[in-house]
Amino acid sequence: MILVIAGATCREALRSRSFLGLLAFYAVGVLLARVVGWISATDGDLVTTDLVLSLQALVGVLVAVATGTALVHSEIKQRTLYTVLSRPIARWRFVLGKYLGLAGALAAGQAAMLALGLLWLAATGAPLHGALLLAGLLTAVEVLVMAAVALCWTALTSPLLAAALGLATYALGHAVATLPGMLPYLGGWRMTLAAVGASLIPNLGRFAYRNDAVHGVPLPLAELGLTLVYGGLWIALLVAITVAVYRRKQL
Amino acid sequence: MADILSFSDVSFSYRGDWLNRVRSLAGVSFAVPAGSAYGFLGANGAGKSTSIKLAVGLLSGQRGAISLFGRPVGDDALRARVGYLPEQPYFYENLQVHEYLVYLGRLSGLHGAALRAAVDRVSGLLDLAELGRRKLGSFSKGMRQRFGLAQAIIHQPDLLVLDEPFSGLDPLWRARFKEIMAAERARGATLFFSTHILADVEDLCDHYAVIDHGLVLEQGRLDTLIGAAPLALTARGPRPDGAEDLGDGSWRVLFPESERGARVSAVIAAGAEILRLERKHIALEDYFVARVRAFHAAGKPLGAP
Repeated sequence: MILVIAGATCREALRSRSFLGLLAFYAVGVLLARVVGWISATDGDLVTTDLVLSLQALVGVLVAVATGTALVHSEIKQRTLYTVLSRPIARWRFVLGKYLGLAGALAAGQAAMLALGLLWLAATGAPLHGALLLAGLLTAVEVLVMAAVALCWTALTSPLLAAALGLATYALGHAVATLPGMLPYLGGWRMTLAAVGASLIPNLGRFAYRNDAVHGVPLPLAELGLTLVYGGLWIALLVAITVAVYRRKQL
Repeated sequence: MADILSFSDVSFSYRGDWLNRVRSLAGVSFAVPAGSAYGFLGANGAGKSTSIKLAVGLLSGQRGAISLFGRPVGDDALRARVGYLPEQPYFYENLQVHEYLVYLGRLSGLHGAALRAAVDRVSGLLDLAELGRRKLGSFSKGMRQRFGLAQAIIHQPDLLVLDEPFSGLDPLWRARFKEIMAAERARGATLFFSTHILADVEDLCDHYAVIDHGLVLEQGRLDTLIGAAPLALTARGPRPDGAEDLGDGSWRVLFPESERGARVSAVIAAGAEILRLERKHIALEDYFVARVRAFHAAGKPLGAP
């Protein structure tokens, strides 16, 4: 049942105009990235590659937050979930199926963007290496975590506020990555408070391998594995919170 | 006849603005017998859709007891036996008719050949076969209603719960819907549907309930209500007290069924010529309006039971 719901959700998302529009926006951005590379004072290929990978993350996160906040809320508002939940479907299966469907669509979008970006880089003579694929993979996982963040915030508040909180979580998630270096300067209870606070936010810096990948810095396999597990655990936790809220929510 | 669905003193309120709670149902009780066609009558905002959403598990947190197939409502598995058409249904805009029916059929537990046969059956019944590749987003209100009924009956449910099923339909499709609902009932399904169009209840139902401001004002068998209609005796000759002069020398008098023998005998004994004796038809619409107005006149405030 979960996969049936996921399949329909994925198809619906992939056919939506906003999804295709953002892919088009990415394509235009990638074309312009090459122009920026040509006019940059430093290594044009590095600048272009960095921009292409960053655009994938930017568009991915925006899509994840926009669609993650609308995912269940629009079903409630448009009452499309009535014909589903009036069937023998537990709410947790519905929410999990919806998330997996969205994750499938986002992953497909990420794969399409990565393929398009790498093809464009190759066509314009920029050097390609395996690290770029890994950077794209980790960006995709970051996008899936952000979709779960947005979904969770929507369960707790309104979609508009959830979108704002989702983007704030994204900013904080990257700020958290710099926290270990700052902790010794805080000291005492402030250090403890900062450490506890940081542990409540996904450390999105773990997925930001883009800069290293552009310069060809290798990513150890163990670290890749740990990062994937880390992302998976955050997704599981956030979806579990969402399920717990929607189990009691009036539709 | 066992009850398929029953409400026993069910109250429900939902969160309104700020801390206010809006009471939607205030002690609703009714029972839908197995195999019956039950019309749930009420004006807009009377509490029909809330009752239906509670019955199909879309809402919860009510006071009182709701029983579905003899068990407390809320068990997910029970809903496999229910088909539900929401009021003014909306569907995913980018899914095609055929794949949407397959999707919802699967969620109802259909697979393989049975699923394909069910999709073909309901597509044929609702004239959706030709529209199989069309996306639901391009559908008119009436077409969505047709798809809504198709998805509700795809798994041949034991209980068919329809919220304003005739909304947005043209006369031809209203007639077709009635035929399909009658066929579902002939198959063995119990029908429970809400409406404020009373002619539909007269056409289809054998049981009814009238709900207003979250209270069931009246319920029972439709034939009992119709049987309670007075007799109208039209005659010519000596006119008894209280008879209405029809102007052509004849007169008419109304009396209940229980007085039939005595009244007819008295007219004959007085030497009058009986022209007609017939049951005066109760228009359910008139009855419904009178019943609700009487409820309001009794001092029930609008908007709060």
